[in-house]
Formats: sequence, structure tokens, C-alpha cells
Amino acid sequence: MADHSPSTGQVEFQFNGKTIVAAPGQTIAGALHAAGEHVLSSSFKYHRPRGLLCVSGRCPNCLCTVDGTPNERICQTPARTGMQVKSQNAWPSPKLDVLRVFNRFSRFMPVGFYYKSMYKPRWMWPIWEKLIRRITGLGTIDPVHGGDGDYEKRNIFTDVAIIGGGLAGMQAALAAAEGGARVVLIDDQPGLGGHLRYDPDLVRAEWTELPLRTAANHRIEVINGATVFGAYEDRYLGVRQGERLLRIRAAQVVVATGAWERPYVFENNDLPGVLLASGAQRLVRLEHCTFDGPVLVVTDNAQGYRAARQLKGAGVTLAGLVDTRADSTEAIDGVTIHRGQTITAATGSSHVTGAKLATLAGEKKGTIGCRWIVQALGFTAATSLLYQAGCSLEYDPALDQPVVKKYAAGYWSTGAVNGFHDPQAASAEARSVGAAAAAAVGSQPVPRVVERPTSSGATAVEPNYVAPTSAKKQFVCLCEDVTVKDVGDAIDEGYSNIETLKRYSTVSMGPCQGKMCQAAAIAVCARHNKQTIAQTGVTTARPPDQPVPLGVLAGRGVQFTLVRQTAMHDWHVRNGATMSDAGNWKRPGVYTTVEQEYDAVRNRAGLIDVSTLGKLDLRGEDVSKLLEYIYPNKFANLPVGRVRYGVICGEDGIILDDGTVSRLGSERYFITTTTGNADAIDSWFRSTLVCRPQWDIRFTNVSTSFAAMNLAGPCSREILAKLTTSDVSAERWPYLAAGELTIAGVKATVLRIGFVGELGYEIHVPTQYGLHVWEAILEAGREFGIAPFGLEAQRLLRLEKKHFLPGVDTDALSNPLEADIGWVVKLEKPDFIGRHSLDRVSQRPLRQKLVGFRLQDSTPIEAGSLVLSGTKVTGRVTSSGNSPAVGTTIGLAWVAADQAHDGARFEIRVRDSNVPAFVHEAPFYDPAGERLKS
Amino acid sequence: MAFQIECPNCGVRPAWEFHYGGATRNRPEPQAPSADWVEYIYSRSNTRGEESEWWYHRSACKLWFLAERDTSTNHVLETRRFEAQENVGG
Repeated sequence: MADHSPSTGQVEFQFNGKTIVAAPGQTIAGALHAAGEHVLSSSFKYHRPRGLLCVSGRCPNCLCTVDGTPNERICQTPARTGMQVKSQNAWPSPKLDVLRVFNRFSRFMPVGFYYKSMYKPRWMWPIWEKLIRRITGLGTIDPVHGGDGDYEKRNIFTDVAIIGGGLAGMQAALAAAEGGARVVLIDDQPGLGGHLRYDPDLVRAEWTELPLRTAANHRIEVINGATVFGAYEDRYLGVRQGERLLRIRAAQVVVATGAWERPYVFENNDLPGVLLASGAQRLVRLEHCTFDGPVLVVTDNAQGYRAARQLKGAGVTLAGLVDTRADSTEAIDGVTIHRGQTITAATGSSHVTGAKLATLAGEKKGTIGCRWIVQALGFTAATSLLYQAGCSLEYDPALDQPVVKKYAAGYWSTGAVNGFHDPQAASAEARSVGAAAAAAVGSQPVPRVVERPTSSGATAVEPNYVAPTSAKKQFVCLCEDVTVKDVGDAIDEGYSNIETLKRYSTVSMGPCQGKMCQAAAIAVCARHNKQTIAQTGVTTARPPDQPVPLGVLAGRGVQFTLVRQTAMHDWHVRNGATMSDAGNWKRPGVYTTVEQEYDAVRNRAGLIDVSTLGKLDLRGEDVSKLLEYIYPNKFANLPVGRVRYGVICGEDGIILDDGTVSRLGSERYFITTTTGNADAIDSWFRSTLVCRPQWDIRFTNVSTSFAAMNLAGPCSREILAKLTTSDVSAERWPYLAAGELTIAGVKATVLRIGFVGELGYEIHVPTQYGLHVWEAILEAGREFGIAPFGLEAQRLLRLEKKHFLPGVDTDALSNPLEADIGWVVKLEKPDFIGRHSLDRVSQRPLRQKLVGFRLQDSTPIEAGSLVLSGTKVTGRVTSSGNSPAVGTTIGLAWVAADQAHDGARFEIRVRDSNVPAFVHEAPFYDPAGERLKS
Repeated sequence: MAFQIECPNCGVRPAWEFHYGGATRNRPEPQAPSADWVEYIYSRSNTRGEESEWWYHRSACKLWFLAERDTSTNHVLETRRFEAQENVGG
């Protein structure tokens, strides 16, 4: 069942500058092992040499930088010609890491040492931090090419998702497919089979075809080399496959994640040369490697004997087999079995040279020379996704693992994760679980309870986690260099709960996310607290279960961002407008210069695209009643053919938005909102309407049905007159008139309003005629010197009229009374949204006020600048600009109520100095509104 | 926020298509004491467990509807349209 066999073709890559030859199909790690490169990395804190341990992509030991990408698990990455592989966190190389000096000083670096030693004096911390960041950590992000991947996303919807492609996963998938379900099978290895791939003694004849049958089944999609990093609500799975993010929604999920072999904790258990048995089996079976010296196997179960036999069969010399069970009877020809003993230490400095043995009670039994130590001391069930999914689990001492007590809706589990380590039993269970999951598709997912095996078979009756020794360098957590002593010290300092212990000691918080260390950490914690493992509990499992590059989550980003364009967009671009973002919309910022556009509007005519405004059409008997409730001001008395300014507040009296309300018929209204709040106000109206189904109101959002433009300036009436046969005189179309006109042959809704403070018409036409009417107006206005103007000129023009912009000049504390538009609030109305709050505000003195201000000169002021009263901060500037009408800088600012009278002087902080400003109560331009109303 | 919600118009959709509108609450009468209004405007129950809520199908049909949700598991037990005569805020 091997995935590949070496042939003659050569693959060459560089490892720390050295050329390594790999057999085709070998991983980087396999090739390095074959080449005798056994030191792959330097540990996180003490810079200890580390080598291969799990060979399955779970432990942190083989993380390297490959072609500039940090933290690649090189035991999972196929070797390719030309690859540049570099060790991390080591200088100049992991074999000769000068920072290994920290290993000598480890007694000065206890758990949490930087909390204890680096907080005083305070000013030293930034220096310490810089130093720590240089000498610790995992790899460096390439600032130029980091995140350059071809990130993709794929959404998958399926009946049954099966996580894990081992024996149980394959059997469950086949049974579910036979039951008629569409199945997605996700596995993190390059080929299906799980333990069967590397442990031929487990394979029964009838299983040899399983991977092929699974892959060939038309109802099953196999996704290899992919890790499920998160199990979210309602059976939503986050999956990383290389640079691709898969998002899977399944009706049923079967967790067949199996179990991870766990490392034993003994002195120098992190030395290169100490391997998991499954790792050694993988090297022999999948990577076609051998071992360059005698191997000592330590075990408490049948797996160790199988591994020893397979190594022996591959020509490896065995230094012996240590079996912790005194009463075991299994034997291997020509191999000395040390029964009733265990390993307490590995000897050697950069690689194993021997092993110290002792009885389980700690009685020393001497040292055996060996180059490799292979440990087969039990498995940790891969339960983290079950925890994430919301299943509840309890520790079963007979199985020495947590087992599901209650499933989350739609979840199932099978195989070793349930404690079925016997392949025959796991296979049978998996088939029944797969069939049941398929049968459950289509029905409402219900939580279920499931049976469990009575004994494990994977570990000894008394599981072995920690060697009987009190030596210092026994590593519980390889990712973060946490020793047994560190865990004990942390508990003695009061971090005795497993959750606080984790946070303080950082045990299980590294790249392996507890896969290697959690079982031992719990065992050490339990022993130190004199508790059982069940009483100690487990830490909460959260996504991501495996590290995920941020690029995979982010995807390609901007290419998929929605962009909204108005009907006149192409015209703007063709005519040189700079386009700026307004939410998803693109709007013209400026075509020529702000000065030229300003000049056209004030002295001749200008035209601005306002299609992005929200537009609502309301018809029916009860619309007046609705508007009276939603707005603080009155609309029932608005005559047909008139438009009125309106502000919408929340129940807390805070301004949400402003806009216009036009009455186009006795039961017909047309409402505009600001661009930014179009969706929010739409939702606001709908939430009010849904509770009043008995009211006669037809509500239609016509925002994108109409293009809109503002024709403004002293010549705008003459321009409009050229385009319509209707009477647009001041008598027939006075200020605040609203109605319909045919303009350039197009029926338009027209509002005589003037945001920029000039005679003006807001013209709404069906979107498909937007460009036609826009061009017709510009053509008709050419003789008058009309110019298109953009947002920047509009901002300055409105500022001269002291018109505020909700969300720019107001915030979550701004009510209409303090925003100086108290006239819109009609407290005599019996009820409207925000009435109670505004009534309260009206009864207390105002605390702040939005005022216009002018400077003595043209000093530029940035929005957000502080307003001062003496040395006290009393407010801030929200908008400002250099006003041609006034000749100085003007703006809007929130100031304290006692600073708000006309002519009052206050100061604005501009960089290092204070600039005097003066409150200006009236609009800066045309204070009487004569031009507006002309 | 990966859970699913059944929109009464559109059927089962992922939660990110929706906007959460808060727990349903009774709006006080206009002349109710200030204390009632302060409670209504500023206090939230922050229920752990089943709660009746407003949800808005923002990305599709724009319907405001009611949902019963377990806030500790994000399991949505039931969704339904608003029926007249209910006083559930809004």
C-alpha cells in the first residue's frame, strides 16, 4: 500500500546551503533522514537541537522555511528540485546554533520568567521585547513575497462529510455512499489508509483494495492533503488544502480522526534520534529509509512489537526492546526483551548515543548503547474537532481517553477516536456509523448517544505518560520548551487549574496545539495535584486545530469586492474625474480643480451625480402616520408638491441619518437618504412596517431604479427651461417645490432643494436615462459655462452653508438639539421614535453644541483636531476647509455649550500650538438664503 | 457565526446573510414613566439560553422575522413571520 517507490530519477534541493539528493516521491524530511541530516531545527526557547519525531505533520520539530515560506512541515512536503530549505530559529545552523548557550542558563529561565524578571524598570521592556523577538520564535515572514500564494476558496455542500481517511473513515464513506449519500472524505495525508499505509501487519486481505474502491466510488469525493482546522456551528467545516480554503457544509459529519501516537516524557526526550514508533514505521515504509545505527524500542503494547519486527525485517539492527509490562510474553527472535522496565533518559548531546533504563518504580537498570530510541507507548484520541463541534466528552479510564457522552446535532464518530483500536472492530463500527449517517440525511439532525468499546488494546492497563525520574530536562511540550519541572513550578505558584496552567506555562499553545503534549500535560498536572485525569479535565479546544496561513483565510481579497457604479460612471472616468470610494460606490471626487468647480457652482451652474442617494417610494393611506412616527418633525401637514428636510433618530434620540421627504400625491411620498445610510434606513423602515401589517403602505426601495443629479447655481433655472416645455418659473417652481417634469424627453421627479446653497434642482430619472439627461443638461448649460463638480467641491460648498453630514459631523452622541437643528424636533407630537429621550434632553441644559467657526487666517485644520478651553479639551473639529466666500479657514466643531455663542473665542490644537477660532452662528455664505430661494 | 437560519421566505441560509435585530421587547407606552423608557432603551437581558429575537435577511429578501435561538449554542429552534397583535418592539 506504499504511495511511491524510488526510481532512478534524481531530485536535488538545498538544505542550509548543502545539496541533498532525494528519491522521487520522497518528502524533504525523508530525503534528509536518508542523507544523515538529523538535526532539523532549534527549539523555541533553549535552542536545543531537534529532529524528526512524528513524521506525520503534527509535531513542531521539522518546521522549516521552504522557498521563503516559514513553518512548512517538511515531513509532509514532497521534495522538488531547486527547493531552498532552511532551518529556523538557529544561527548559523541548527547543528552549531550559538544561541544554544540558553540551554545552559535554563535554570535562570523558569516558566514565565519574563513576567518575573523583565517588568522592572519599565523603560527596559521595549528593549527586552526586541531582544526576545530576535532570539525566539518560529521563522520569519518574507516581507516581499510573503502572502504571494494563489489563494483560492471553494464552497462544498454535501450530505455526509467524513473527517479522516483511515480504515474507519474509508469504511464509513463506503457505507454512507452505498446508503445513497453524497460523501466528502477529507484526509490530511497524501494517500488514504491511515495506519494501514505504514503498518502492513494491520492490513487484512479484504482491505487492500479499500483506498482504490473509495477513490473510485462516484458518490465519494476524496480530498487528500487537507486538514480540517475548525468545526463550526451547524456542521460547517473549515478546511485547508495547501493554499486553498475549503468551506464545507454537511448535513451529517462523521469524525474518524483516529488517534495520534504520543511521546513519552523522560530526560532528554527531545534529542534527535528519539522517534515515535509510527514515525519510524513511516520512514521505513513510506520514505524507504533505513536507520544508521541500532534502534531501541520502548513499548507497553502490541504496536511496539509490530514496529520492532518491521524494522528488523527492513534490515535495521535492534539494540533491544523495553516492555514496561513485567508479565508480557511476546518475543522477537534474536532481540533482548527488557520486561518490567522503562526508559528514564536518552544520553547524547546532539543525537542519541544510548538510553538509561529503570524499573517502573525507578530502580536503575543501567544504560544501553543505541543510536535511535523508538517509543510506542500509547495513543491520544484526536478528539479536538468533536469538542469544537459542541459534543460533550468524558474521560474513560478503561480506554485511557475521552469519549463522547453526547453528540452535537448531526455529528458521529467512529474508529480509534472512539477507542476502537482493533482494526476489525473499528471497521465494523465504521460501516454501521456510515450507514446510519447516510440514513439520517434529510431528517432534522438530532443529538444521539453511542456505544463504546470496553477496553482499548492500544495502551497498557496502566498507561505510561512520564518516566520514573526527577531529572530536569524532561520535555512535556516540545513546541514551547516546557518541562515537567516547569509544569510543577507553575502549579506550585497557584496555576493548578489545567486552563490557567496552560496560559501561564504556555504548554500546548504552540504549533502542535496539544497533539503531542496535551495528554502528558494533563497527566503531569493530575499527578502534581494528586487528582485523577478525569478530575483534571481538558483545556477547551478552539479553532484552528492546525495552523492556517493568514493568506488562506484572506483569499484574494480585492478582486472579489463588490463595486457599484452609477449610470454616469463611464462619463466621469472619460472626463478625467478622480473616483473616490463611498461604501461600495465609486463617486467623482474632482474633475478639474476644486476652485474651478466651486466657481462654476457659485457664479454660473454646476452638475453633480447624486445617484448613490438612498431612494424610497411609499404609497398608501397610512404613509403619513408612518412618517409621523419615524421622524421627529411633522409630515402629515406637508402639502402635495412640497419637499421637507427630515432627520431620523433612534429611541435614544441620537441622529441616525438625514434626507428629504417629498409629497408627490396625497398618498404618495418620495424619500431620500444619505449614500452611506441607504441600507440602514431601508432596514429601519422595514422593521417598523413589519410590526404594522394592518397599515395600508406599499414600500419600495427605488435606490438603484433612479439615477439622480443636482443642477445648482444661479443659471440653473435658465438651463432647465431649455430642456422642458413646462413652466419652471420661481412662481410655479419655488424653493422646496417637488413634482414631476419632463426633462430632455424623460419623465423626472424634481426637488427644488439646495444642499450647496444655490438655486438648485435635484433631478431623479430612471437609471437607464441617467447618462442621457446628464449629457443633455451639460449640453444645454454649455452656453452658461456649466461644469460638472465632484464630492470635494460639494463638501466645501455645503460647509459654507453650515450643512452637516451625518456620520461625519455627528457621532453616536449627537442629538438634533445639540447638532443645532432643534427646530426639527416637534415634542408636541404625542409619539415618535426618540421622543422620550429628546424630551429629556430638552429639559436639561445642553452639554455640547455643533457650531460653525472661522479662523483669522487660512491655517489648515484637520478633522479631529482638539477644541480647547484653557488646557481642557472640550470638543473636536469635524469638518474644515478654506472658504473662498469668507477668505479664511472655516469649519464645524463640537464645543462645550458655554463656548457656543456667536463670536465666542476658543482654541484649536494644531500640532504644537493653539490657533484661535471664533464661533459663527449664521451660515458663512448667503446667511439669509436669498440665493437658495431665488 | 457559521450557524444556519431558516428565512420564512428563502429557506435555510448561513447566518452571515442576516442581521441580528436584538431580543424582542415591549416598547413602553409614550407616557410611561422614565424608568421604563431607560430600561427599554439602555438595558439588555443578555440571556444565556433560549431567546426570542428579531432577524433581518439583509443579503436577500429583506424580511424582518422572529427566531427562537439558544444563545449558548447558536442553535435556531424556530423561525416565523411576525403576526399582528404582537407587541415585540420595533
